[in-house]
Amino acid sequence: MRFILKTHYQQDIDVFKHNGQRFWFGLLALLVIVAPLFIDTFYLGELSLVYIYAIAGIGLMLLVGHTGLVSLGHAAFLAIGAYAHAWFIGKGWPLPLSILLAGLLSAAAGAMVGRPTLRMTGIYLAIATLAFAHIVEQIIAHWEPVTGGFRGQLVPDAVFMGFDLSRGIPFYYLCLFVVVLCLLAALNLLRSPTGRSMVAIRDSEISAQSMGIDLARTKTIAFAVSAGFTGVAGALFAHKLGYLAPDAFTMLTSIQLLLMVVVGGLGSMHGVFYGAIFIVVLPQFIAIMRDTLPTAIGQLPGLEPGLFGLILVLFLIFEPLGIYGRWLKVKQFFDEFPLYRKATHKRQKSYLRTERLR
Amino acid sequence: MEVLQILISGVSQGCVYGLIAMGFVLIYKATEMVNFAQGELMMLGAYLAYTFINVLGMSYIPGFIATVISMAIIGVVIERGVLRPMIGEPPFAVLMITIGLGFILRAVAGAIWGTETKTLSNPFTGSVARISDLSVGYENLAIIVGTLTLCVTFYLFFRFTRLGIAMQAASQNQLAAYYVGIPVKRIYSLVWALSASLAAVAGVLVAPVSLLEPVMGFIGIKAFCAAIVGGFGSLPGAILGGLIVGVAEQFANLYLPPGIAATTAYVMLLVMLLVRPQGLFASIQQKKV
Amino acid sequence: MSALLSAKNLSLSFGGVHAVRDISFDVEQGEVFSIIGPNGAGKTSIFNLISRLYNADSGDIVFAGESIISQPAHRIASLGIARTFQNTELFEHETVLNNMLIGRHVHRCSNLFSELLFLHSVRKQELEFRRIVEDVIDLLDLQSHRNQVIGSLPYGVRKMVEVARALCIQPKLLLLDEPSSGLNPEETEDVSFWIEDISRDYGATIIMVEHDMNLVSRSSDRVLAIADGAFVALGTPSEIQNHPDVQRAYLGD
Repeated sequence: MRFILKTHYQQDIDVFKHNGQRFWFGLLALLVIVAPLFIDTFYLGELSLVYIYAIAGIGLMLLVGHTGLVSLGHAAFLAIGAYAHAWFIGKGWPLPLSILLAGLLSAAAGAMVGRPTLRMTGIYLAIATLAFAHIVEQIIAHWEPVTGGFRGQLVPDAVFMGFDLSRGIPFYYLCLFVVVLCLLAALNLLRSPTGRSMVAIRDSEISAQSMGIDLARTKTIAFAVSAGFTGVAGALFAHKLGYLAPDAFTMLTSIQLLLMVVVGGLGSMHGVFYGAIFIVVLPQFIAIMRDTLPTAIGQLPGLEPGLFGLILVLFLIFEPLGIYGRWLKVKQFFDEFPLYRKATHKRQKSYLRTERLR
Repeated sequence: MEVLQILISGVSQGCVYGLIAMGFVLIYKATEMVNFAQGELMMLGAYLAYTFINVLGMSYIPGFIATVISMAIIGVVIERGVLRPMIGEPPFAVLMITIGLGFILRAVAGAIWGTETKTLSNPFTGSVARISDLSVGYENLAIIVGTLTLCVTFYLFFRFTRLGIAMQAASQNQLAAYYVGIPVKRIYSLVWALSASLAAVAGVLVAPVSLLEPVMGFIGIKAFCAAIVGGFGSLPGAILGGLIVGVAEQFANLYLPPGIAATTAYVMLLVMLLVRPQGLFASIQQKKV
Repeated sequence: MSALLSAKNLSLSFGGVHAVRDISFDVEQGEVFSIIGPNGAGKTSIFNLISRLYNADSGDIVFAGESIISQPAHRIASLGIARTFQNTELFEHETVLNNMLIGRHVHRCSNLFSELLFLHSVRKQELEFRRIVEDVIDLLDLQSHRNQVIGSLPYGVRKMVEVARALCIQPKLLLLDEPSSGLNPEETEDVSFWIEDISRDYGATIIMVEHDMNLVSRSSDRVLAIADGAFVALGTPSEIQNHPDVQRAYLGD
């Protein structure tokens, strides 16, 4: 077990708490940077997809995990980011600007949805975002001049300073760069007053209010920031897909994104990455299973969404803290080895008391 | 006359929304959980009816009853297996788990009955009631009459029976309800049984006007919009919201371009949330400190 | 000297229940002012009115010369009014330190963009916040709990953390809602000590709702007694304890 002697407040504020973390994350950084040297193109593409999902996951985690607001419509922000990016880049705008604008546009849309739904509890917000996502889906399907309608449209190549970044190794580095940037921004936010006020709202709105936190403002910010990150992910996702059509951004996508943060572990940025890896690996795993299982089961329609649902249910019942939570428990077991007690993480029975007055 | 005709088909569609919305509200009122799988329960009910009537060859009424009973059992099983461990967990987790449940049910239905559409044989299709110039399909009448009957039954149930009142108590404060001798857990199972059989009724009634397919449960989302428009947590609100959304949708289909018409329910929901977030029948208030 | 906070003819009702009826009182700068009364007398309702969680039906609240009756709830803290809650409303999944840092929220100067980039100014502000938080930690002896998560703390400590969090606002007026409820006699004794410390070191005016008459008479300068939402008596602790109307309110006729 590690005990840290703190000699300065800076140590609480810094992203890395001690040298051990610096070493391991440095090693990880090195690994992902040299990865293209020894991974073949297909898996490199999958790894890029992990980064893209992670960016969207960072956004959703800030909203769901840290602010405690549920969105069932994040696919809409992904779509807004993707289509906006395709449009901007089609107009010949430079790549970084286009990605940034896609994020900002998405953020604006997020603020627009978040704002009117602020007075509501989780359920209302959830359903409002779902409604919003449906509306966006319809707009995309019918606004042909910009979106290409049902037929969809090709995404122009991402060319920056003469380099084509839209596929292969350059695309990998683009995604890596953006995900690191987004992660840093999110971590910065979380160690600042705004991030703390988001968490405060999650845990107790009443007392957050009494501590001077403007609920409406903070929730709107949370929503906008979350949608912004997701929009940036959408921009990269557009290149990954290569061809944009409305059926890439359905409710299933939204649920997939939620599954990612729940399975990864709510309330931690580690969880985002575990979750992203999980949802990229799962379809591959299912594809492999389809071949090995008897046809009767392997060829079932709707196997994938069904499995998604099953995994979601199992995680919520047995490990609500997600993969990251499980990892922490395992770590603690070894830290305290002979002394670990089985009941340490036993969940306490709690009873529901209504928040309704009547 | 055309307007009246549309109004009637709107009302019958609205009753379907209302029935599903009532299922949402029922579970919410009693357990303060939001069951996103309500639409899938309806789908399952319709398929069970198909199995009893079309496959096993039962006649309509016994098949109907068998469906309702088996759905009640399924409701209890789901509550025991999936929701019971979630008592006391945050509402978000419960919401997510019911979404997951919806996905599972859809996959299961697809696996058992296949994804191609099916038709439930029933005594209504083809018969049309004529009231002066209006023609109303019997299947639509059945929906409207069935909904009315259920509404009255539920009203009386919650108003006058011990069980109904106990359910309301359990939703207000689990611990307090437990202390005054209400078997909270059993109540929860009962609520799920009730709500699942309600979904079964909705499924059987809706089957003649729509086709059976695993994705028919998506109608639940629109029903959810209806529940909120009416005021979440209020049974009359659920029906009224369902009617409003149903009627508005039929008119939108006629007068608006298809893309916009498809979003009617959602736009109404968002407008309602903006204008009067507590819905038409308010029943939810702020937390007390 | 004019009063720091004055409530004028406050009334509040829920449906047919009159929680607060025509209550008026003045709280002077620097005093410890207690509100007592039987259960359901409307004490906490008065707090909720001051912190704007409830809307008064009629009446006015003036704080430091300014009417706050139509301010939004989240503005109250930045005006210098902090409060605690009867059953503690802490941020359960956060550490004591983070809970207290929330108290500094109203004093932040950073905006979203500087925070996303964590500019030097934000870092400086964080350091400054921590310095103030550490002072409060020292005052209330919370050092050993600094990095513990609220959920793992015993009730008595949580109550302290809530007071600490309120103090981090550096309020002019501190509202304590039953600071001793759920505490053992020893901890209750401590309460009277830190109330003294707070009013001396921070110069904060304190209004508290309290049941423990020992604590009330030891700590307060003046006491307001209410029953059924209505005014009963106002005076020094000993005056109130011997007031016939107060005794009647508690014991019945």
